Amino acid sequence: MTEKKRVITRRDFIRTGSCVVMGGLVGFPLIRKATGQTSEKSRVVLIRDQNVTAGYGSLKGEVLVDMLDQALATLFGTTNPAAVWREMVNPGDIVGIKSNVWGPLPTPATLEDALVERLQEAGVDARSISVDDRGVRRDSVFKKATALINVRPMRTHHWSGLGTLLKNYIMFVSAPWMYHGNSCEKLGTIWQKPHIKGKTRLNILVMVTPLFHGVGPHHFSRKYTWPYGGLIVSTDPVAADATGARIMQAKRNAYFAKNKPISPRPLHIEAADTKFGIGNSHPDRIELVKLGWEEDILI
Amino acid sequence: MTQNSYAISLEGLQQRLPKHVNVWNAEPPDRIFDRKTIFSYIDGGAEVYKAYNMQRCLSRRYTAPSRPVIILDIFDMGSSQDAFGVFTHDTDGEVVDVGQNACFRQGWLSFWKSRFFVSVYVEEETEAGEKAVKELARQVATTIPEKGAKPQILSRLPIKGLQTASIRYLHHPIVLNYHYYLSDENILNISAETHVALAAYKLGNQEARLLLVYYPDPEKATQSKVSFLKHYMPDADSTGAALLEDGKWVAVKIKKRLLAIVLEADSRELADKLLQSVQ
Repeated sequence: MTEKKRVITRRDFIRTGSCVVMGGLVGFPLIRKATGQTSEKSRVVLIRDQNVTAGYGSLKGEVLVDMLDQALATLFGTTNPAAVWREMVNPGDIVGIKSNVWGPLPTPATLEDALVERLQEAGVDARSISVDDRGVRRDSVFKKATALINVRPMRTHHWSGLGTLLKNYIMFVSAPWMYHGNSCEKLGTIWQKPHIKGKTRLNILVMVTPLFHGVGPHHFSRKYTWPYGGLIVSTDPVAADATGARIMQAKRNAYFAKNKPISPRPLHIEAADTKFGIGNSHPDRIELVKLGWEEDILI
Repeated sequence: MTQNSYAISLEGLQQRLPKHVNVWNAEPPDRIFDRKTIFSYIDGGAEVYKAYNMQRCLSRRYTAPSRPVIILDIFDMGSSQDAFGVFTHDTDGEVVDVGQNACFRQGWLSFWKSRFFVSVYVEEETEAGEKAVKELARQVATTIPEKGAKPQILSRLPIKGLQTASIRYLHHPIVLNYHYYLSDENILNISAETHVALAAYKLGNQEARLLLVYYPDPEKATQSKVSFLKHYMPDADSTGAALLEDGKWVAVKIKKRLLAIVLEADSRELADKLLQSVQ
């Protein structure tokens, strides 16, 4: 460790009286803006519908797609969802939809299909669209992509604390394990790579039945999912992840009836903000717009 | 970590595994993963097993018509110390008498025996599934002939007040942060060469945690103590103790290659007593 480096410890959180794990995401005062970080607030839309699911394994696709349209219209400040897509992409774009295939909680196929459909409605050729996860480095569309759409469910994760939008891009590098150090803190650097940087037009964090606690080698029990019925959308992946993380923390505290920190601490979210300047993680730099079902919203 | 040599190999164990459990039948083929391919099998959790020096993992599925799948995973951890360690990564749940230690919760039973950590998981929780999980685990445990030794560092933990269910053994800083967030950086220089034990204590109505780190040499232990004092308790008194802002005490002491740290002690007396009791 260098002499100049400021080491964050548990002690810092004790001093400020803030929750140990979520520190930076709830306004931990020590870390401030890094070079290249935006000074503007990031808009995040959280939309919920209690009818989208009755719980894990059940999904009403048409409700989910309607939620997506509403959220995007609000995110871009229009009443016309079709106009959003025409603003977001050009007919000449080559678009990779970075999905997530994790068995117990994959990106809903309905959502993938809807994204493809909206892109085509905006004039993008079907041959210029691909949905992929683990094969993105071999996928011919992704190789030539001029635009990316990032979509995945949120879940807890043994090593990074949370499976997030930021983490979803780990498949874009040839040696993902090289980013596993210090709880995947450096995931933000992937977003700075030339074949990634500046291409992401939209981030969608699926919060329909998030996994808020993991058990066992496969880190899954449906007992630890709940029908939150939400989508979080933003052009800022850090702000979307930070918002989702706050909800996950609130759910863990409520479920376990005590402070149950996300563990390990999801360092990569605040590092993406403070070290790599990818976006905003602090609530005071996030404009959160809430739509729809408000009961047990947890934020 | 020292690799213990035990007679039974993963392949040898594979041959002895049950082909049926209640109405469930083994569904071939078994799959064996190594330290590289394990990532394709358990996305996210693999780093934990690698942090405990996992060598290989054997996975077998048991299926039955209209019944949830039961997944058996046997991890060859290379040493019984690491098999015990990875078992302590998650010990929530009901204690059951399988292997050398076992826990059952939410359709998942885990146990360790010899150098193997075993996980038996039913995808849907049903009464029949739970019975089958427990039965399968018992049968697998009997196929592992030897028992293994626990990590030696556990013998340095004071007995009085020790909450045995809270014991964690590890040698990776992220695993420590998983159980007890200490710092964003590895200020204690924890590595594959160090042995770490973390445990909770309760004496009367007072509580504390004790962290023991055993280093490969005394110099590393001294450096780590200096680092801990610098980053975590720059306000420590001459005895190596400090009162934190939340009213709890932290105290540190070094004994040759062993660094002992009391965390979150309810009183100075308790912190001192624990440090004095470290073997």
